[in-house]
Amino acid sequence: MNKTGDSLILSQAASRFRRLAAALMRGFLLLVTALSMAAVLLIILYIARDALPFFRLAGLKEFFASTAWYPSGRPASFGALSIFFGSAIVTLGAMAVAIPLGLAAALCLSDILPFAVRQAVKPVIEALAAIPSVAFGFFALVVFAPLLQNNGGNVLTVMVWLILLPPGLLLTYLTAEASSRGIREEVAPAVKWVMAGVLGWLLIRGLLALADRLGGVTIDSGANALNVSLILGIMALPTIVSVSEDALQAAGRDLREGSYALGATRAETLLKVVIPAASSGIVAAVILGVMRAIGETMVVWMASGNAAQIPKPWFNVLSPVRTLTATIAGDMGEADQVLGSLRYHVLFALALILLLLSFFANLVSEWVLRRHRRRMSGGQK
Amino acid sequence: MNLNSRKALDRSLTGVGALAIGLMSLSLVILLGPFFIRGSQAFVFRATVEHRRLMFTEFARGGQDSLNKELAAVKQARAPVFAAMTRFEEELPSLPLERRGALRKEYREVQRLVRSLFGPLPGDDPPVLLREVYGQTRWDRALVKLDELLHVQRWDYSRIGQMGRQVRDRRQNTFAGTALEPLFPVLEGHLGEMLRPRLTFYWQFLIDESRDAHFFGGIGPEILGTFYLAFGAMLLAIPFGVIAAVYLSEFAGSGRLVSLLRVFVSTLAGVPSIVFGLFGLAFFINTLHLSRSKSVLAGAATLALLILPTIIRAAEEAIKAVPQTYREAALSLGASPLRMVLTVLLPAALPGILTGIIISIGRAAGETAPIIFTAAVSVGQPLKLIETLSQPTPALSWNIYNLATEHEAVGEIRHVQFGMVLTLVLLVLALNLAAILLRARLARRNRG
Repeated sequence: MNKTGDSLILSQAASRFRRLAAALMRGFLLLVTALSMAAVLLIILYIARDALPFFRLAGLKEFFASTAWYPSGRPASFGALSIFFGSAIVTLGAMAVAIPLGLAAALCLSDILPFAVRQAVKPVIEALAAIPSVAFGFFALVVFAPLLQNNGGNVLTVMVWLILLPPGLLLTYLTAEASSRGIREEVAPAVKWVMAGVLGWLLIRGLLALADRLGGVTIDSGANALNVSLILGIMALPTIVSVSEDALQAAGRDLREGSYALGATRAETLLKVVIPAASSGIVAAVILGVMRAIGETMVVWMASGNAAQIPKPWFNVLSPVRTLTATIAGDMGEADQVLGSLRYHVLFALALILLLLSFFANLVSEWVLRRHRRRMSGGQK
Repeated sequence: MNLNSRKALDRSLTGVGALAIGLMSLSLVILLGPFFIRGSQAFVFRATVEHRRLMFTEFARGGQDSLNKELAAVKQARAPVFAAMTRFEEELPSLPLERRGALRKEYREVQRLVRSLFGPLPGDDPPVLLREVYGQTRWDRALVKLDELLHVQRWDYSRIGQMGRQVRDRRQNTFAGTALEPLFPVLEGHLGEMLRPRLTFYWQFLIDESRDAHFFGGIGPEILGTFYLAFGAMLLAIPFGVIAAVYLSEFAGSGRLVSLLRVFVSTLAGVPSIVFGLFGLAFFINTLHLSRSKSVLAGAATLALLILPTIIRAAEEAIKAVPQTYREAALSLGASPLRMVLTVLLPAALPGILTGIIISIGRAAGETAPIIFTAAVSVGQPLKLIETLSQPTPALSWNIYNLATEHEAVGEIRHVQFGMVLTLVLLVLALNLAAILLRARLARRNRG
């Protein structure tokens, strides 16, 4: 830094200068770091600043309790209930896709697949995570929605088979297995096979009947909650898979080996030992997945149909819905010209709700993860 | 439970896991399949003579002589069509009155479709819109138009209690006995000679400006805009991100302030992208007045905030992965902490930091929601570097949305939409592939 000769010991002045320089640098680094973190505060501040006028002028009751969303009507009404509902049902649907699929995939990746296969699957997850949301939205609108509209019945049938066949077969096998217990050993296999045959036949018949019903269903509009839920579920998969796989890995070898030593099979070890040990990490994964689905804009804007309504009955996923994010994206174009109007501020109010939701989810997942980490490290000591 | 059931359960869990992995991979294939198949048709397709005429007049490509020769041949091939139309127009007043009205209406439809195939008819006024100056430039679209010309589609509701059925009649039947009748077989049999399709590799799709709102031309300005936005965001985010990472990993220790800073990082990572967009509008444009309205600068600043947490985390990981002995060796040689960071730590962590940066570029290039209100316009010229401070730009991500939903003729320009999606997806995937390769090399180096 400065010339202090060949001596290893710095002169007093030089050493003071050095200490000062180091302190200054630390201060500068802290300043820059704090500055970039101040972004979070600025975001809250600016979203809240433009959201508060709405609550002051229009009050809370209509916003949270009414389903009448007519921002450009005269008089305008800003009932956002159906929009909250839209976000909720779409997210729920996405999680119904992503949680079972993601958990099964994470289990498979962390404990079942051999190393080489795992290396081949990793890029698939990374690719799914990398594809821009607008590309997913484009797929939902241009490829998937027409498919649903023209061949809705067939698509539904395939989905039902995919969802119900594996657990159905499993149940059949287990029931057959259970029914053959306690019977004399010579006839037990025969009973088992007969049982399996009968139950399997019933299962297939049931599924065929259901498929027959669904095959006749026509979907009026391919841009609906089902479409968006499926796509959002696939988008949330990478988050759920990678975070919960990390959690499963972190559960540790000793835990698994202890379980194996007691005579448990791999499935028993995973279901009864590893998953409970990793449960908080899995919860965090699910929370992050939920936030990915709620915060996603392009897919829902393009393919949810954008109808601010609560479908009848409420679980009818074949009807169009409208979400928080899509409302902000879609209405800002018109509200931009009327800066300062209620129409403008209500969008910030929606954004504030989104922001608070994400803060809350983030805090919960951080807390869960931290507790998890503490417990895991405590267990090892 | 007996042993067999337990074994079966074990095996079925394996099966379920494999099914999940299979479904996930399948969904990736199903997603990318259409992008690649239909997207490639924006680049490689059978281009008609109209395409070559367009390329010559609008983009000054191709030879004049060969084009003129081709145009002459085409003119000759099309002559019977125009002749039939002229004859029909002369004949129309003499046709029986009760047929005349219907025929006139149908004939207008025929005229419209012939124009869309070949461009303006002889004797037409010069068209105002560019899309009417040229006929079909793509053979696949031309075949669609031909089908529309040859067949009348109508809905049959005659069966009571059932949904309407689509019925196709040959349009020729409407004109039976008139001078227009020969037009249909001529078109059906000789359309190839009238348009002369030829397999073309239109790589200039990537650099051409669009003409007449994406009816013709390429996606050059969009790609340029995406590059501006992504690199602008990196330029703003990298210094802040790397400095914050250095501070958090090397100097911060584990105090209360630091854990608060860390919570902030993860909070920022969790903010929905559309909220970033609103914030960018409210802060960068309406408060700081970075630009009068939307601009690349405002969009890049918004995107920079969005990718900041990714960069901080990646850089922090990379810096933490540098062995402790490096730091100690540098410090024991008398280097100040700053010098240690600059000459030892950052170079050693560089590949890891680069991986994070590359992935962030992909993220910034693909994001749409943050730039809707801050930077994106649907149609625009390619910007010069200085103009990025004040001008909005078209961008791939935004224009995919815009062309797929708000364009006036969504169905006519599917190839452009798919071409854009393919370009964006390939760009992002290539960046990620680069990051993966870099990481693999890094792992090998660390091991070896």
